[in-house]
Amino acid sequence: MRARYRALVALVLLAGLGGLAVHADVTGDDRWPYPGPEALESDYDRYVDQRTFVTGSVAAVDGTEMTVEADTPNSVLRLRVTGVAAPVEPGGVVQVYGTIRPDRTIAAERVEVVNSSFGAELYKYGASAVGALGFLMLFFRYWRPDTDTWTLEARDG
Amino acid sequence: MADLLTHLLVPYVLLTIASWRVDWLDRTWVVVGMGGAAIPDMVKLNIVLDSNAVEAALGIPFTYAPLSSLGGVLLIGGVITMAFDRRHWSRVFGLVTFGGLTSLVLDGMRVYADGRASAYLYPFTNWRPPTPSLYVSSDPRVLVVALLIAGAVALLDRRQRSAV
Repeated sequence: MRARYRALVALVLLAGLGGLAVHADVTGDDRWPYPGPEALESDYDRYVDQRTFVTGSVAAVDGTEMTVEADTPNSVLRLRVTGVAAPVEPGGVVQVYGTIRPDRTIAAERVEVVNSSFGAELYKYGASAVGALGFLMLFFRYWRPDTDTWTLEARDG
Repeated sequence: MADLLTHLLVPYVLLTIASWRVDWLDRTWVVVGMGGAAIPDMVKLNIVLDSNAVEAALGIPFTYAPLSSLGGVLLIGGVITMAFDRRHWSRVFGLVTFGGLTSLVLDGMRVYADGRASAYLYPFTNWRPPTPSLYVSSDPRVLVVALLIAGAVALLDRRQRSAV
């Protein structure tokens, strides 16, 4: 099939992906069973006593209390999380599942440490960078771009 | 999500084992399947170009989240397929989709504080499958286990090919 038709099909598929990107954002709050950072930021008191699930970075830790900052589109939501001690340092990332209490406080039932520190996050990105580089080297060992047909062709024919 | 290297190693292991029984599935095709495993990781484009910045620039709501879902895997898988000659399409699309699915399933097994994974079957369903909460994404033991298994499979593969 000619390159222009393949490019056209690819563009249609990318347009479909763009549609999903918009749909997923517009319907995000409806599809997520808990009030998220954006909803809490805009009208916190409305959600008091409901359950929530928030992922955010740890700003401070003090025993069974921590301060967690979750990103919203326009700002950062700062929450006090109480009730669960977690092995995490400031700069780490946690998931918090618990009940919304007044004064921007979450009574946590479960806290899961996603990245225990900023270093743990760096490790993840380092391993991913090694993976990306290694894959590209491996891929082009077996495949080459054919500029006559604008396709990828196997090197062994 | 697990790191990209772990994502790539899972289809390498599965497809290499499958290649011992499937004649056409040689290393040339195994790497294509591995490429599909990287699709859900494209959600990390957010680090390079923040989705809020894209939203502001385009003036419409926008999130990268679908890249890490079945819909994203199928659509990007289709785009990747278009980079190959037509005679390879079904093979490429099947392998790339398989690779993407292994990453989605692996990510669906990580820890979620409420016990349910993300709705990675979006847009076909918003259901969040239960997760066995096996690991957190920054746990290096996940990569160590993946490397050990991949190393063992690579050795067995070499022995298998030299025996043929």
